[in-house]
Amino acid sequence: MLSDLLYRIHALLHRDRMETDLQEELQDHVEREAQKHGAAGMAADEAMRRAKMTLGGIDQVRQQTREARGLQWMEDVLQDLRYGLRVLAKNPAFAIVTALTLALGVGACTAIFSVVNAVLIRSLPYGNAERLVNVFTPNPHMGDVPAEAWGPSYADFFDLQRQMHSFATMAAFEPASYSSVTERKAVRLGAARVDGWFFSTLQSSPELGRVIDVADDAPGRHVMVISHGLWQSMFGGRRDVLGKSLRLNGVSYEVIGVMPTAFAYPHETDFPPGVLGKIGQTDLWIPLALSPQQKADRDNFTANVIARLRPGVTVREAQSEMSALMLSLDLLHVGSMRGFGAYVKVFRDSAVGPVRRLMWLLLGSVSLVLLIACGNAANLLLARAAARTHELGVRATLGAARGRIVRQMLTESLLLGLGGGCIGIALAYVCLRGLLLLSPGNIPRLEEATIDGRVLCFAFATAVVTSVAAGILPALLASRVNLLVYLKGAGSRGAVGNHLRSGLIVGQVALVVILLGGAGLLLRSYVKVEGVQTGFSAATVSMDVQVDAKYRTREQITAFYRELLEKVQQIPGGSAAGLTNALPLSHSENVSGFFVEGYANQKEQLVSDRYVTPRYFEAMDIPVVAGRAFDDGDAEKRPLVVMINEAFAKRYFGGRNPVGLRMKTSGPDNPWRTVVGIVHSVQEKSLEAAPTPEVYEPLLQTANDTDGEVSLVVRSVLSSDQVIAFARAALRAVDPDLAFGNVQTMGALVTQATAERRFQTTLLTVFAAMAMLLGIVGIYGLLAYSVRQRTAEIGLRMALGASRMDVVAAVLIEGLRMAVQGLCIGIAVCLAMGRVLAASLYGVSAHDPVTLTTVPALLLVFTVVACVVPAYRAARVDPGSALRYE
Amino acid sequence: MDEARLELPQGTLDLLILKAVALEPMHGWAISERLQQISRDAVQVQQGSLYPALHRLERRGWVKAKWAMSENNRRAKYYELTASGRKQLAAETATWRRLTDAVDHILRMA
Repeated sequence: MLSDLLYRIHALLHRDRMETDLQEELQDHVEREAQKHGAAGMAADEAMRRAKMTLGGIDQVRQQTREARGLQWMEDVLQDLRYGLRVLAKNPAFAIVTALTLALGVGACTAIFSVVNAVLIRSLPYGNAERLVNVFTPNPHMGDVPAEAWGPSYADFFDLQRQMHSFATMAAFEPASYSSVTERKAVRLGAARVDGWFFSTLQSSPELGRVIDVADDAPGRHVMVISHGLWQSMFGGRRDVLGKSLRLNGVSYEVIGVMPTAFAYPHETDFPPGVLGKIGQTDLWIPLALSPQQKADRDNFTANVIARLRPGVTVREAQSEMSALMLSLDLLHVGSMRGFGAYVKVFRDSAVGPVRRLMWLLLGSVSLVLLIACGNAANLLLARAAARTHELGVRATLGAARGRIVRQMLTESLLLGLGGGCIGIALAYVCLRGLLLLSPGNIPRLEEATIDGRVLCFAFATAVVTSVAAGILPALLASRVNLLVYLKGAGSRGAVGNHLRSGLIVGQVALVVILLGGAGLLLRSYVKVEGVQTGFSAATVSMDVQVDAKYRTREQITAFYRELLEKVQQIPGGSAAGLTNALPLSHSENVSGFFVEGYANQKEQLVSDRYVTPRYFEAMDIPVVAGRAFDDGDAEKRPLVVMINEAFAKRYFGGRNPVGLRMKTSGPDNPWRTVVGIVHSVQEKSLEAAPTPEVYEPLLQTANDTDGEVSLVVRSVLSSDQVIAFARAALRAVDPDLAFGNVQTMGALVTQATAERRFQTTLLTVFAAMAMLLGIVGIYGLLAYSVRQRTAEIGLRMALGASRMDVVAAVLIEGLRMAVQGLCIGIAVCLAMGRVLAASLYGVSAHDPVTLTTVPALLLVFTVVACVVPAYRAARVDPGSALRYE
Repeated sequence: MDEARLELPQGTLDLLILKAVALEPMHGWAISERLQQISRDAVQVQQGSLYPALHRLERRGWVKAKWAMSENNRRAKYYELTASGRKQLAAETATWRRLTDAVDHILRMA
């Protein structure tokens, strides 16, 4: 088999030499045969004639021998290629336009595919990632909190770990953050505190050193594994990093290992927003090192669990085992801490589930662009084929088989497709750069998108399929040369081709309308979201800070807060500063039960409960609409007070004036708090949902711990840079071991909240614009061609009295007819498919009248633009010369 | 042509060529002469079909060809049996024997 292939390749490469060899071989044969006849006494020329006759025609033998070499098809292909290149070179404008059209489609598709490849297709760097699951413990009685917000308590976790059979390993971890202060800078680092099974469950090995094992997971072991990024930024990527140490929250930790770049678990995109708290990415892994009390704690549902299914165990089996175990563990719980179940979620669904829809939407819409590009290429090829009627007729008359003509035409479109594909890959490279700049930051692994082997294969396959799809109809049509008709000199099969071409245009316009409609709806939604009044000041600067282990009592922590605020308020130029445990739009909140005096309270009613210091509302510029804001008098050991937002007042106090009335937070056993003021409702949870009821308690009066982690907000006339510098100096003066994290303006938080929508809307708008451009070029191309083809007819009409206006109108009507037909189909599809986009819309209906009128108007205007040049040309036809030309 | 001569059954030409070049390397004309001689002119080998067959065998790797000087000092293309060609010859000979034996047997029994 191999020798066969080698022979064929050899034969192909040395075609010319093999031909002369064969010629010589046959010549030799004939001469020997003639010699034999001569020896028998035949005359020389008679002997030669006889010899040739016996061989049976040298040319036929040569042809048969060539075929025996198995090369005929390759030679045909080469011939087709050569001929195709010549034909294309003769018509560079046609070749360039067609190749560019295909390049645009292939390029856009390839760029999006490279993103989909990175986000959805490429395997995750955690062994056999398909077998990984998260175990959550949702509680149906706990309000509309996402199921993923609950993990088992540690006592439950260890019971599960002991009793389960579904998992090979099961590990617990907790997100954390640490201040790292060196002489050069103070930063806060995202971290995970992990148990001894964490790395073995993820089946991940370090690139340097070792990972945390079971022996490390004990109190007092100050070791850490660091990320590749941290190794580079903090240790300069030096090989001798192992054994070096870093001070975290004032305690020194020794580096025992470095993880490779790809390892980033847990990343915030691996969980629903807010579940991981305020860390974005994880740069440190530190032993979980639970104390005996923590291990025995059954009330705090805070563990994050990742587990690897035992071979042969299905997710469903694991789910039913976990549910059964949680049900039996429920008996050990008391009071409100009952009713927790189990939810086994495939890790891949957690990690990529939320963006899957977006990815399919992008891939779907970019495929429409490709389809339009393909239609354009088909149209251009059809026009070319019609223009080549003469040439193809000659070839058919000379005996070219139909298959051969089809193959020739397909070779040409493949050449165009591959050329377009190459340009397309270059284009995809550029597009990908731009796309990464638009990254909303919450699409996992988007930054890792590259044009790799799989993407190149995709681009190649797309180019081939597209060019064959675009070329097949024109090729079949062109090969159907009717010899009789051609020879009679009519040679016009234009009618069939033209029907097909305008049909294609109608289809393309419909696709353009679908994309325009989608983009229009998203744009309208985006504008509405951007217009949402957040209710707080965008210029306010916020930063997170967390006290470390040396703050042991509540009094110490409170003293730290007071001192920090006091220092920050001294900022020149007048300012307000406050602290809160949960910033708006930061996906963090504290949910608590509550009880309103004089209201028909339900069991298990929940509200988001935020803790703030007195000048928080001033710092955020949130207006107090009734009563008063907290003041310094609302401190420890003073009468308990509470503030509510307008939404809460309306919902739970009805027509009553809440100020002066009483309510309780958390359990009904807690003391009463007096409502002292109502603030304007702000967009706390999301920009796109109506404000929900909120309760604010003075930070200094809360019964609950805040883990000592709060956000500082500062509003000042100074620039944000100055504010940040001043706040950093203040923190250094109060406690040199601590550092701020997530330093940003509130405006930046709002921008982040709209980032994904902006990403999606921008891309869809770009696709729609590309589609429009291609569609317009298509209409223009068809009209220009049809005017040229019908020059004689137009001339005749004018000679018979048609005015130039009539001619212009005819061209316009032809263009508009196609546009309107496509428009009707497109709008119908848009209306029918409204549901596809409905989940992505905000404030507009899928049948938004503004969009439904703007899109047709835009399309018709552009169609008229596309008609201008062909119409002008038609009007300039000179009847005399047109008729003479014919 | 000559009515007395047999037309070669499909596919047997390859076998005969392999057999012919099994003894020594030969050029095309010599092969055709040899086939005529050893078959005592009983089979008719179309000279024209010889060359496609030779090239086909070469492609399959059963014969290899090289240019060499012939007895009368002329350049000629000599075909030579390869190792895999020898195996192929043995296999095809065996198959042929089995086939003719079987047909023979049937003809005698029926």
